[in-house]
Amino acid sequence: MPFHIRDKTARMAAPDDKDLLDRPIFSFRLQIILGFFTFFILSVLITISAMITINKIEKRIATVQTWDRFLFNIEQARRWEKNFFLYGTNLKDALESTGAALEILNENINSLDSSDYSWQKEEIIRHLDRYHIELNRLSQLVESNRSQPAFQNEIEANLRQFGAQMVEEAAEMAAREYEMVSRWLHLLQKVPAYFLVFLFFLMIYMTRFLSIRFMKPLKYLVNQTRRIARGDLTPLRPVRKFRDEFTTVEVAINRMLKELENRQKSLIDSHKLRAVGILTAGVAHELNNPLNNIMLTAHTLMEEFTDIDDDEKLDMVKDIIGETDRSRSIVHNLLDFTRESKSVMEPLNLGRLAEETTKLAVNQAKVRGVPIHIQIERHLPDIIGDRHQLKQVFLNLVLNALDAVGSDGKIHVRVESRKPNLVIAQVEDNGSGIPADVLPHIFDPFFTTKPVGKGTGLGLSVSHGIIAKHGGRISVESAPGRTIFTVTLPYYPTARGNEEKPGSSEEPPH
Amino acid sequence: MKKPELLLIDDEPMVGQRLKGGLEKLGCAVEICEDPARALDLIRKKNFDIVITDVMMPEISGMQVLEAARTASTQTRVIIITGFATANLAREAMEKGAYDMIAKPFKPADLRKLVVKAAVEMGYSDIKEY
Repeated sequence: MPFHIRDKTARMAAPDDKDLLDRPIFSFRLQIILGFFTFFILSVLITISAMITINKIEKRIATVQTWDRFLFNIEQARRWEKNFFLYGTNLKDALESTGAALEILNENINSLDSSDYSWQKEEIIRHLDRYHIELNRLSQLVESNRSQPAFQNEIEANLRQFGAQMVEEAAEMAAREYEMVSRWLHLLQKVPAYFLVFLFFLMIYMTRFLSIRFMKPLKYLVNQTRRIARGDLTPLRPVRKFRDEFTTVEVAINRMLKELENRQKSLIDSHKLRAVGILTAGVAHELNNPLNNIMLTAHTLMEEFTDIDDDEKLDMVKDIIGETDRSRSIVHNLLDFTRESKSVMEPLNLGRLAEETTKLAVNQAKVRGVPIHIQIERHLPDIIGDRHQLKQVFLNLVLNALDAVGSDGKIHVRVESRKPNLVIAQVEDNGSGIPADVLPHIFDPFFTTKPVGKGTGLGLSVSHGIIAKHGGRISVESAPGRTIFTVTLPYYPTARGNEEKPGSSEEPPH
Repeated sequence: MKKPELLLIDDEPMVGQRLKGGLEKLGCAVEICEDPARALDLIRKKNFDIVITDVMMPEISGMQVLEAARTASTQTRVIIITGFATANLAREAMEKGAYDMIAKPFKPADLRKLVVKAAVEMGYSDIKEY
């Protein structure tokens, strides 16, 4: 059975939840995951670029080393060359060193290819080749043992020229590469610092963004609970374009509201039964009058049947029928109030409603000897409301007023319209008033000043709930000898029937 | 022969209308009144032997009528008729010196019996139920 009930509430809650749930999901979980994922991607990018940079630096350092080794061998070759021209020695060594330099270049030709100055490299290779050729020519000249000073001089000049150019260019290359390495290193030093600053601002932004995202729905929920506490049980509407963890809370609150509304409805019903109980005494008296008239008329008819003429007999029978009708309408009025009914919102004339309701209590008032004056503005605009529930509110206010007044009590019921679009109904009594310390609590559930068994303390709280549901307010001002309960309800200009005839004004019903 | 003076007060006009004939047949001088305020005036002006009054009436209650009648003359017999007959009301009425109370709805004969009884007690011997 409990399963059934749960199943039922779940199904009942479904239409209200639909709006809330019919949004795309963008949960906080997802948002946090996205945030961290962004961090991760950024870190990966930074790490990869750092690795690439370090790799590049490594290659550049290798290039620098190659050029250094090359330069060393070339310089060595030039020293041997110089020795040869000065002392005629070491020509072989010069050739060897040049060969070694060539070998170094050829070995590393690929890594050197990445260099941005390939034209210079080719220039160096060309000069090296020429230098090597000149050295070979010199070597052949020396081996042939023929003294050709002019030819040797030409070779010497070429060797000097190409050697010097080659050394200069190689040194320049090495220096350039070195500079490149230091530039990369410099960059590598700065990047983490920039990254840290960027990370810092990103974190501040993320924190702010997330906290705002958290705080906004929280604030919204807090405001909504305040509204609910005032008795407005309309379900929450979706405010964000997407669904998140708060949606679960909202759906739960809506479910709770549904439950609350059901509870309130049963509270209203049980309170109605109490009001009916109070009314019954008055109704009994009210009913006894036409019954008495019927009894007296019927007996008179019977006793004087032979003495009176037909017209008189007919009058008496008509009287009996009339009084029976009267009894029926009394019972009907009470039953109409008691009747279990679905909550129907319809255009209502609040004045007429107040009048009808007050009449229900008039007998009770007669029993107590308290006159009730009704004063209703003509041409009241219609309000939209639940007839039975509003009747209950008025009856409750009038019965409370009756309880509050003494033997010289007087009760005024007033209904009038107020600008811009309000209809107000007031129930005023001249009782002893409500003490100031009690006044703030009178709309609280189960709050009562009546003796045990006399009041449930639910009347005003139920009334408050009903009026709040109608989008209105119920308020009270009280002083000794004058207590006024004011019900304020909005009307909408579209409501039809504004010209409907209102109850007559200033008519004390008895 | 002097007739017992009787005043009947009820804000329901049909009550007086239907009872008047029967009470007059008993031999009473019957005055009907629908307005309790006017009834109080009548009571102050004239001593009635028997006053029959409703309780729940606008402005003035039957209890006030009872008090006024008993103040005017302790000899006056006051019969209360009410549609709201409770023990409390009966006690209050008896404490204030009501002769008897009869609950609505009642048969005319029951009221007539009470009136006869009261009138006989007051010395009107030729009053009797027909």
